[in-house]
Amino acid sequence: MHGASLSRWTMSYFAAACLFLILGQGMMAAGYGYPTVSTAAPETLALVHVVAIGWLSLLMAGALLQFVPVLISRQLVGGRFAPVVLALLVGGLLLLVSGFVALSGTANLPLGLLPLGGVVLLSGFALLAGVLAATLLAARPLGLPARFVALGVTALVATALLGTAFSLGLSGAVESPLLDTLVGEGIGLHAAFGLGGWLSLTAIGVSYRLFPMFLLAPETEKATSRAVWWSGAFALGLVAACLPLLLLAVAGADILLSLAALLTLALVLLYGHDAIGFYRARKRKQAELNIRASLAALAILAAATLLFLLPPVRAAAGENAAALVYLFVFGWLTGLGLSQLYKIVAFMTWLESYGPVLGRAPVPRVQDLVAERRAFVLFCLYYAAVGAATLSLFGGSAGLFRACVCVQLAATVALVNEFVRARRLSYVPAALRAPAGAVHPRLFLPTFAPRR
Amino acid sequence: MDEAEKEALREAVREALRVVIDPEIGRNVVDLGLIYDVTVEDGGIVYVTMTTTTKGCPATGYLKEAVQTCVWYVPGVEYAEVRLTYEPPWSPDMMAETIEM
Repeated sequence: MHGASLSRWTMSYFAAACLFLILGQGMMAAGYGYPTVSTAAPETLALVHVVAIGWLSLLMAGALLQFVPVLISRQLVGGRFAPVVLALLVGGLLLLVSGFVALSGTANLPLGLLPLGGVVLLSGFALLAGVLAATLLAARPLGLPARFVALGVTALVATALLGTAFSLGLSGAVESPLLDTLVGEGIGLHAAFGLGGWLSLTAIGVSYRLFPMFLLAPETEKATSRAVWWSGAFALGLVAACLPLLLLAVAGADILLSLAALLTLALVLLYGHDAIGFYRARKRKQAELNIRASLAALAILAAATLLFLLPPVRAAAGENAAALVYLFVFGWLTGLGLSQLYKIVAFMTWLESYGPVLGRAPVPRVQDLVAERRAFVLFCLYYAAVGAATLSLFGGSAGLFRACVCVQLAATVALVNEFVRARRLSYVPAALRAPAGAVHPRLFLPTFAPRR
Repeated sequence: MDEAEKEALREAVREALRVVIDPEIGRNVVDLGLIYDVTVEDGGIVYVTMTTTTKGCPATGYLKEAVQTCVWYVPGVEYAEVRLTYEPPWSPDMMAETIEM
């Protein structure tokens, strides 16, 4: 068995993720959460988790269920648990968000929903981590992209454990001075493990395979690429080392976090160097839209990291550097996510529809399932709106921020519509759309039998 | 079969395989350099050795089946077998020089 199978549930993960992205941006456009209230307010926490778990983590989980087997050329171990993980993550998130709403006092809901959501989410993420870890362990020694995924999955477990502890502490389900200290001091570590370790390192790792694949560039494991992995591993280790220092009120956590930030900067610069290297070595003269849009996300990652290391800029970015976190989440992570979705949805749809008739009838190319010119305008609009929203947060203008998010939301909805059109084969020339034997895929539910 | 007939069948097989495209790149598997070898033996027995651009690609099974189907339909082929290999791994340098990306 050389090839990986199509992941049956990945499209369902993507569909749920897109809905949560629209919901999250809709909440911001409606003035829910920061900057209307503080970053620590329950409303903001509800919003943050809709985006971080509902959008980004479901997107990443769905993508990994498809691409980890590609990275290691082996079948997924425990792939049958994919729908269970999806149900646990969606259910857990809805409970968690309801718990935050209860905490905010805006609705008469039981506060017990918060820890219940935390525990359900922990079980979902643990099952996902188990599936991915078992798959990776069976494929040792691992190549570099897979080693990044292993690092990301480790960070995911740390994030989920901390998050569950927070839900127990915030709801008062468990009372302990140590838990109070963790809730007071550990939010930054939770965010660093989640946004930096789980989401960013995993995305970087997968891109080390996808960039050369889509650009037709030689895929070689370079010293700089290994340095990116080691920088990420050390940075995560430093963040982990802060935990006991904070809990025991021992000085030194600030120094460790500063070192982790410097390592992150080195990581970003080296990663940028490698990505540009792939771009320059490409055989494909005209890079496709997903790559061009991903490079914009990468530039935003570099900008956000650099700006975060400048104390005056960080101070001007609002409470907990909110403007820079916004830029990181919507410019880098969401920008990259939407860019890659644009390609992956078309690619998976092609396989599902035309794979069975390849060689038996004329079939379209993957590129024929999308309309790049139209989507190019949408990506430009999306990134421009993210930039403007970030600036409005720097300027402290809540009204302007909401207006910018409305534009961002409109661009997102239009991009999601492009994914739907790709699924429905809307752009495929009529003569090639439905050769005998081709499968017309369902929008987001699996219809196909597992491949051998 | 004499050598000339074998060579003619080999060419016919390679020509037939030009209808099989790599979905991602949109070019046929022959010009992409994905067909490493076509061996013809007496009695119209054909062995094709092929690869894919990326090891572990989900399209692998479909590509292999497509090549197998195509070869079976070439007049003169009595038996066809397709073998997948990643030694050597494919690289963009293996594409035909005529391919304009």
